[in-house]
Amino acid sequence: MHPSKSIIFFTVSSGTGYGILLCLSYLAFVTDINFDNNVKLLLIITSFVFISAGLLSSTLHLGHPERAWRSFSQWKSSWLSREGLAAVITFLPLIIFYLLWYLDNFFYIYFLHLTSALCLITIYCTGQMYATLKTIPAWNNKLVTPIYGINAICMGSLTVYCLSHFHEFEVNYLYNFTIASLTLCLFMKLIYWYIISKKTTSTANSATGLGRDNNISLFEGPHTGKNFLTTEMINKIKKEKANFLRLCFTILTCILPIYMIIQEPSLIIDVFILKLSFFFVLIFALVGMLIERYLFFIQAKHVVSLYYGENKV
Amino acid sequence: MTTLPTKQNKKLGLVIDLDICVGCHACAVNCKEWNTSGHSSPLHDIDPYGDDPTGVWFNRIHTFEVESEINGSKTVHFPKSCLHCSDAPCVTVCPTGASYKREEDGIVLVNPDTCIGCKLCSWSCPYGAREYDEEAGIMKKCTLCVDKIYNENIPKADRVPACVSTCPAGARSFGDLGDENSDIFKLVEERNGYDLMPEQDCAPTNKYLPPREKNNQFSSNKLESITQDKEIAFDSWKEIIENASK
Repeated sequence: MHPSKSIIFFTVSSGTGYGILLCLSYLAFVTDINFDNNVKLLLIITSFVFISAGLLSSTLHLGHPERAWRSFSQWKSSWLSREGLAAVITFLPLIIFYLLWYLDNFFYIYFLHLTSALCLITIYCTGQMYATLKTIPAWNNKLVTPIYGINAICMGSLTVYCLSHFHEFEVNYLYNFTIASLTLCLFMKLIYWYIISKKTTSTANSATGLGRDNNISLFEGPHTGKNFLTTEMINKIKKEKANFLRLCFTILTCILPIYMIIQEPSLIIDVFILKLSFFFVLIFALVGMLIERYLFFIQAKHVVSLYYGENKV
Repeated sequence: MTTLPTKQNKKLGLVIDLDICVGCHACAVNCKEWNTSGHSSPLHDIDPYGDDPTGVWFNRIHTFEVESEINGSKTVHFPKSCLHCSDAPCVTVCPTGASYKREEDGIVLVNPDTCIGCKLCSWSCPYGAREYDEEAGIMKKCTLCVDKIYNENIPKADRVPACVSTCPAGARSFGDLGDENSDIFKLVEERNGYDLMPEQDCAPTNKYLPPREKNNQFSSNKLESITQDKEIAFDSWKEIIENASK
């Protein structure tokens, strides 16, 4: 599948923003999150920018972004419509939570949990949109939706953890949570990669119906050049390059942050260097996540490629 | 609306006879000609006279080489357009309701005024029937020539889709595949017409008729290359032709 830049940025950015709220929700369960006002402002701005930038970016790949509001109408049948609706509804309790939290009103806690629930629903709808596409066996997979969830949670908690170095606030409870979510994220990806390397659903035989034990090959395509289907649905990546990118993701998003979090207490360095290094840990992790989403698209084969020379998908 | 109709009064569709199709691409050309001035007009082309032309086509002809033990090797021309599925996934994934299936005849259409161009329908279609028009920013598709088959301004005999009326070999038939008494339904029964990718559960309306088995003495002989060495291949051919002309 064509790795659309705006969609990749949307999933990583909004996912991280939603993850920050899920992480705050977790913290609110185990401890008191009535931080200093500066800390609150930092977290509010970060999460809001991540969420909104992602959602705005998602409209960029549309042919008619000005008609995007129409996509709220078909929630009865379409996961994309449900996703759009859930994303917009989430803003309501989100803004109320921001205000109440900043103003130290105790009721913020209810709005925080409500927002988190809606964040999870939005992420679930996004995942389901991909997971229900039978035409793309790599996505039509039970792990796709949970991976969207764990990606958000681990990136959100890592962001909060890294930000805690800039304004001192209590995140001891986040130590295990971040490491556990990053580890889980890596394991789920490893299982996912194993599954997609094995799975096939359709063959050139079933696509053309030209016999069961026949050997079918494409003799001549419909055009000498490319067309919409080949540019949108048929994209290839060399196995070596894909494996290298998988390694990059594993190191940048999972291993490096876990290593830094575990090693941090034993590091004897300047505070400024520590802040800077955790800033880069976050940036690298986000880059790693962008790489992982890129692979999610480019390695997913669409069954229409069976009409363009592929033998099985 | 994006939900599928609960009942279909008619199931209009095409039957494509792979035994007859000669791969002339006339159906694709006439499809483009009719539709670029019809319901979905215009079907844009990008860089049409340049080095890398692309454009919107509703119908495409693929050519496959099929090798089998019984029939040897043969070439099959394979036209493919929208199959107007009964269980069309492109309709239910549409977030705006722009994509819809008509209750009266089962034709799947796109409303150009409400399509946002998200391309999700093209992802959900296993057959590659949907065409994104880059210039217009919306999705377009085969309309089964809805503006031709009901058009009272043209002679009755011409009220069939453009691809059907233009086919010089008669490889394409059009009719109501939901009516058990129709000629087209009987044709499918008689020739064991089949669905493409039945495992995708789309219940396509269009059917394909398989090429007939060739039972002559030459059909099972596979062609063998006269030499493995490419450099002397030309000389070998020259020799064969010279010997033949003597």
